[in-house]
Amino acid sequence: MKERRCKHNRARLATGCEGHLSDLARGQKGKVLDFHNDNMALRRRLLDMGITKGVIIEVKKIAPLGDPIDICLRGYELCIRKKDMQSIDVEVVG
Amino acid sequence: MKIALVGNQNSGKTTLFNQLTGTNQKVGNWPGVTIERKEGLIIGTEIEIVDLPGVYSLSPYSTEEEISRQFAMEEKPDLIINIIDATSLERSLYLTTQLLELDSDVVIALNMADALEQHGISIDVDKLSKKLNASIVSISAKKNIGIDRLIELIEKGAYRKNHHEHIYDGPIERLIAEISESLIVHHQRFAAVKIIERDRDYRQLVTPETADKISLLESDYQMDSEQLIADQRYKYIVEIKEECTTIAPRGESITDKLDRVFLNKYFALPIFGAIMAIVYFLSVGLVGGLTVEFVAALFDGSEVIDIFGRDIPFAIAGLGPLVESGLQSAGASAWAISLLIDGIIGGFGAVSSFLPQLMILFLCLALLETTGYMSRIAFFLDRIFKRFGLSGKSLIPFIVGSGCSIPGIMSARTVESEEERKMTIMLTPFVPCSAKLPIIALFAGYFFASYAWLVTLSLYFMAVAVILLSAVLLKRFVYKGAISAYISELPNYHAPSVRYVFRDVFGKTWAFVKRAGTIIVLCSVVVWFLGSFTWAFNYIDGIDYHLENSILAGIGNALAWLFYPMLGGTWSWGATVSAIQGLIAKEQVVGSLEVIAGLEGSGSDIFGSGLFSFFTGWSAYAYMIFNLFSAPCFAAIAAMRKELGSTKLMLKAILFQTGIAWTLATIVGLIGWILA
Repeated sequence: MKERRCKHNRARLATGCEGHLSDLARGQKGKVLDFHNDNMALRRRLLDMGITKGVIIEVKKIAPLGDPIDICLRGYELCIRKKDMQSIDVEVVG
Repeated sequence: MKIALVGNQNSGKTTLFNQLTGTNQKVGNWPGVTIERKEGLIIGTEIEIVDLPGVYSLSPYSTEEEISRQFAMEEKPDLIINIIDATSLERSLYLTTQLLELDSDVVIALNMADALEQHGISIDVDKLSKKLNASIVSISAKKNIGIDRLIELIEKGAYRKNHHEHIYDGPIERLIAEISESLIVHHQRFAAVKIIERDRDYRQLVTPETADKISLLESDYQMDSEQLIADQRYKYIVEIKEECTTIAPRGESITDKLDRVFLNKYFALPIFGAIMAIVYFLSVGLVGGLTVEFVAALFDGSEVIDIFGRDIPFAIAGLGPLVESGLQSAGASAWAISLLIDGIIGGFGAVSSFLPQLMILFLCLALLETTGYMSRIAFFLDRIFKRFGLSGKSLIPFIVGSGCSIPGIMSARTVESEEERKMTIMLTPFVPCSAKLPIIALFAGYFFASYAWLVTLSLYFMAVAVILLSAVLLKRFVYKGAISAYISELPNYHAPSVRYVFRDVFGKTWAFVKRAGTIIVLCSVVVWFLGSFTWAFNYIDGIDYHLENSILAGIGNALAWLFYPMLGGTWSWGATVSAIQGLIAKEQVVGSLEVIAGLEGSGSDIFGSGLFSFFTGWSAYAYMIFNLFSAPCFAAIAAMRKELGSTKLMLKAILFQTGIAWTLATIVGLIGWILA
């Protein structure tokens, strides 16, 4: 219910909504809820880079052509492709 | 004693290695500069230290990361120096928690301690050291601060021994203890954790009983064990970090402000284009225009030099005429004079005359590299590269390849997917390396005069187009695999370090001069010989025997048909043999043209010679295309063979490269021919 209402607002997910990390706009923050990823190596790498449940990720910079995206977590920044961000579920927290 | 230097990518390992050993390994401001282990001795000691490629964890993803993991695990160094970037403590300590599970002792070098203030961070180092139960030394590798203390600590062995702190929750620690008790391997604690993570490399050590206990843990914590371990490590780190650091809120950093401009949606690409245009305008255009004739005159003794279309009298006697008059008065024979003047001084001088502009190019590229802009290029071009089946990471080999293909080909190791790595290796030689610049500068400078820099720039953009086109072809017909993930970092912008820029420019310049003085001189002698004798070894004196009868002309004539269309319908054995010599070294193409023009003896520059006066703008452009994109020099071919791991694949690659080069050059040449 909640999720559906959020998706109507295409421009920007409101705080409290759930979605993929790739749905966040520049400057928005999301709290990681879960991942669903078939690529085990990529999953391992994301875990190693600190993308674990509960961590807060901010979308900081977006490449001029829209992809990849520079995200900020745990006090550092990481560049990642949109496609790989789709496998991370988040709740918007700000 | 053997020490391993381990740390995240771009954490300053190589800078520290250079400080510790007094050597001069390549440093760059992007992740993954070090791709092979490098060994050295700490200054004034017998302690051996190994610099390893950067890793984020001990579960490897790419070839060069595997090197680091293997070394740390299998060679059992006596001590690991874990260099960590103080400004991203949380992520850095993740690797630390893993290293502390190994049997080796660990000393932490807290790098960039001097930059903390700027980031609004303060770290209580003593407290951190106590919490981690490991020795920590604050250093700044770049500014050479704290290095002495680090060496002293190591020499005296005054560091804390590895106590294998318990960092996980009780139930997990109990399982680790239980598993490690039954293990008879090195690095017991580490192995036990890997077993809990269900790591594939440790599969055979899992007993059914252990498997049940792992499942139990997973259901208790409601996440799989791999997540659980990562989660617990980070929980432990966050706890420590919160106790030991204070972070002052601060506004937007300088890097963020700069990125607002350099990564702006609308301005980023125009700025990129402008920066590259400035680079080539400065090097090929401005400095090239000012210096080429000047340096050439130092060798050939021209009395008038052309600088930006103005004839300027030149009073310094050239090396060539000086040697010539000296030899003549000493009564040297005609062939000896010809060998020295036309062969050695001609070849060496022709190549050297491009040195000033090359140095400016090296300088510009070094600046772009150390300031952190190069990484941005990879970041915003990733989207385009992805579309053509390449990862943004391929960009790093391409950028390195603009200096020399060999390190470029080697740095393809940072590309994770095997197929993309092979593609990157095959495509890197398409990037015009610095040895190809003399060819461009010679032809562009002569035929396009004040637009030379623009023509140069066009060739670089054409190189990008050729790379993308080839990538599509390879992806379509050879490497059909999926596109790999791209995970990288944007380093902060740094003010360039004068010392490193200087070292980089000097190193590359010296390498170029050394090649000109060795390979090019040697080849020029060979070319002179082949051009001075007939097949029956009669000296070509210009009376009974002519240049057309030379061995060189014979070789050229056998293959000149290949170049006939691209040269606008001209049969030129001279251009043909010169292009072939590009296999030895690309700048030798220029050396060879000069030697042949000298042998022909009309006494003017290359394009004044009757043999090469046929060149037009079109055929010059076509000839440049062929030389730029055809098979690289032997040294680069050898590097390709090594990195591709197969001779067959290497042969296919150079056939592919030469095929593309020939086709493109022929198209351009034919257009010129038709228009004429």
